[in-house]
Amino acid sequence: MKKTAILIIMLISAAALLCGSSAEHAFADTFDQVLLRWTKWEKKVDRDGGSIEIRATYYSAEYIEAMIQKEAKDNLWTQSEADDYKYKFLSTLRLDELIPINIKFINNGPTMYLGPFDIMVKMRIGNKTYKPSDYDRRFNFKFQGEKEGLAFFPRFDEKTGKDLLKDVKSVTLEFSPAVSPLLEGRTISFVWNVADDNPQKLYEGKAASRLETDRLIKRLEKLRKDKAEEESKLSAINGEIDTIQKRLDELAKQ
Amino acid sequence: MKKFMAVMAMVAVVAFAAPALAATNPFMDVPQGHWAYDAVGLLASRGIVSGYPDGSFKGAQPATRYEVASVVARALVAIDADKASKQDLELLKKLVMEFKDELDALGVKVDKLDKRVAVLEDGIGGWKIRGTFRFDAKFASDTDEGNYYYNENGLKNDFEKERFRLFLTKTIDANTYFYAQYRTGASASGANALRDGRGDLQNMRWSHLFVNTKLPYDINFRVGRFAVDFEGDYGLYDDWDALFGDYRIDGFQLSKNWGNFKGTFIVGRNGAFDTPDGVSENIAGNVMNYVLDLNYTAERWFLGGTAYWWNYDGEANIDADLRTYGIYAGFKFTPAIALKGIYYWQNTDQFWGDADGKAWKAILDVKQEALKFTSLWVEYSQQDNDFVGAYNDRYAIGDGTYDYVGRNLDWADANGRTKWWFVKAAQQWNEKWSTFIRYAHADFDTDWLDNATEWGLGIGYQYTPAIYFELAYDQVDHGDSAFALADHGKDHVLRFRTNVNF
Repeated sequence: MKKTAILIIMLISAAALLCGSSAEHAFADTFDQVLLRWTKWEKKVDRDGGSIEIRATYYSAEYIEAMIQKEAKDNLWTQSEADDYKYKFLSTLRLDELIPINIKFINNGPTMYLGPFDIMVKMRIGNKTYKPSDYDRRFNFKFQGEKEGLAFFPRFDEKTGKDLLKDVKSVTLEFSPAVSPLLEGRTISFVWNVADDNPQKLYEGKAASRLETDRLIKRLEKLRKDKAEEESKLSAINGEIDTIQKRLDELAKQ
Repeated sequence: MKKFMAVMAMVAVVAFAAPALAATNPFMDVPQGHWAYDAVGLLASRGIVSGYPDGSFKGAQPATRYEVASVVARALVAIDADKASKQDLELLKKLVMEFKDELDALGVKVDKLDKRVAVLEDGIGGWKIRGTFRFDAKFASDTDEGNYYYNENGLKNDFEKERFRLFLTKTIDANTYFYAQYRTGASASGANALRDGRGDLQNMRWSHLFVNTKLPYDINFRVGRFAVDFEGDYGLYDDWDALFGDYRIDGFQLSKNWGNFKGTFIVGRNGAFDTPDGVSENIAGNVMNYVLDLNYTAERWFLGGTAYWWNYDGEANIDADLRTYGIYAGFKFTPAIALKGIYYWQNTDQFWGDADGKAWKAILDVKQEALKFTSLWVEYSQQDNDFVGAYNDRYAIGDGTYDYVGRNLDWADANGRTKWWFVKAAQQWNEKWSTFIRYAHADFDTDWLDNATEWGLGIGYQYTPAIYFELAYDQVDHGDSAFALADHGKDHVLRFRTNVNF
């Protein structure tokens, strides 16, 4: 028993030592550290030598901010250029409506047929699962080798409009066993703790103003359209009233 | 790579505002020699597409990417499914991918087109046949008695069609999936002489055959022949093999998630340890298997338990029930460093020796992302010799005939407790090259029996995503005292493996 205890202590110490050295290394490279924190992966190596690796990166506010900062630093951007990039990037990600996840397959195994991809992956939030609202269409085509793209999951309930991530501690991404025959029926799933993720933090500064302007323009267009529809309905009702009134007048004269 | 994706996303947004990005400029001419002209022309000439476009694109005149994209869109809408072959659909898919941005910009619902292509493809061949092929050339040596445990029938050198598998699958609908695995070669069933891969291959078998679907209340349902491998599901072994489990069964599986909690229940028969005979009609054929697994997985840790109840219901007058319980847990110190393990205990009937064996293992799993240059798997395990069903060939570099460090384990020494170490370091140098080194040690806790040590190394080359070559060396030293003279000494093998996936 003593030996067992010593062994477990040794393993924990080794892990702690590795964590220490790893943390030190990562400290020098914050973006890599953040990327690692939000990336989950699993590699299944078949006994014949084939393999399938799936990697998924959750686009949290922390990760997006780190990515923008890294781009700004690498390209020596001004604040204005960085804001411009942020605006375009956030527009592409549609973070105010959707939850983007980057998915990468490294398939050195039998050909993968993932189309239609929206039945191959789902997000579990609490007891409910959600299909992707949108995804990179290239996933629909068969392949061996690497394939990478974005899948977008709904952030709000379609019917009630309720924020799906409100008071939620974690989300799970689940891949169907159908993605690869090497899985032999196994489900691959990744869990992210999203309790502290706050995408609203990203919507600050000039980029936020532009995004709000875009939203307001969209809303204005919608209101104008609604107005036109209502006016059209009103006009039709007025026309009908006139017609009936005319007929009533005619009947009164008879 | 993430940077690349970010740039790609940006390109999609600013495509129209950045004329310098010629590759995505929809008004740029498609060169006259571009394959798209021939592709569309070919499809039209074969009558695959009707509604061939107006003068905007005539094949002999330059056209813009927008124009070609509109042709592709029309072609997809008008495609005649009865005439189209798989090659035609491949051509169309290639065109869709080439002009995806322009189709998007034109307001064409690429989504619908993709689904249409997928439906068409299913209509032509919804069944997917894939496979994997492994050929091993093994050159063995033996320093002592002339027994070459690395090869079947004690051969010194052996070339084998080691394993050939076909996967037959079909996604029947969004919730229903059919899976079958058909295999032959040295890993197939039958006596050695019949399954060794030499001569004509015989004894082909369906090793896995099941359907997954969804029942009310979001319950996942599986029926057929499938693997029971919870250690594998939770990443509790590397290479070969689980301490317990990893066998196939004919039966039913029900599972359901409640948030991060998952319950799985299996009821089946014919489950057998993963011997070459696989699913069998012997004692296991007379045993009802009930398996329950309860698991909670959070981002940084997991915890759970598995119970296996094997109840004998055959006609023989024997008590042969076997009950095995396991609890497991894992904790991630960082995303790339985890400590995990499992503890088993058993309660058996007379047939199994009334044993109450225990077994456990602890694993330090360090991914290459942590140390950058290598991954590291350090495993320590203990196993009572009377623990039923434990695989003593674990840590071998292959299944079937490979020698392994636990070969001399004395099952009859019921009071013995064998201790194992297994360390593996694997390095992925780039997309093509990889290497590994491995070490295993078994301390048999039996006075007259020498401990055994195994070590090996290998280099792999991923020639294409479909083709993989590996050169590996492995050696086991069984020491000087063993059951029989033939089990003494060292064996080693040099293996050249070819693996093709299609």
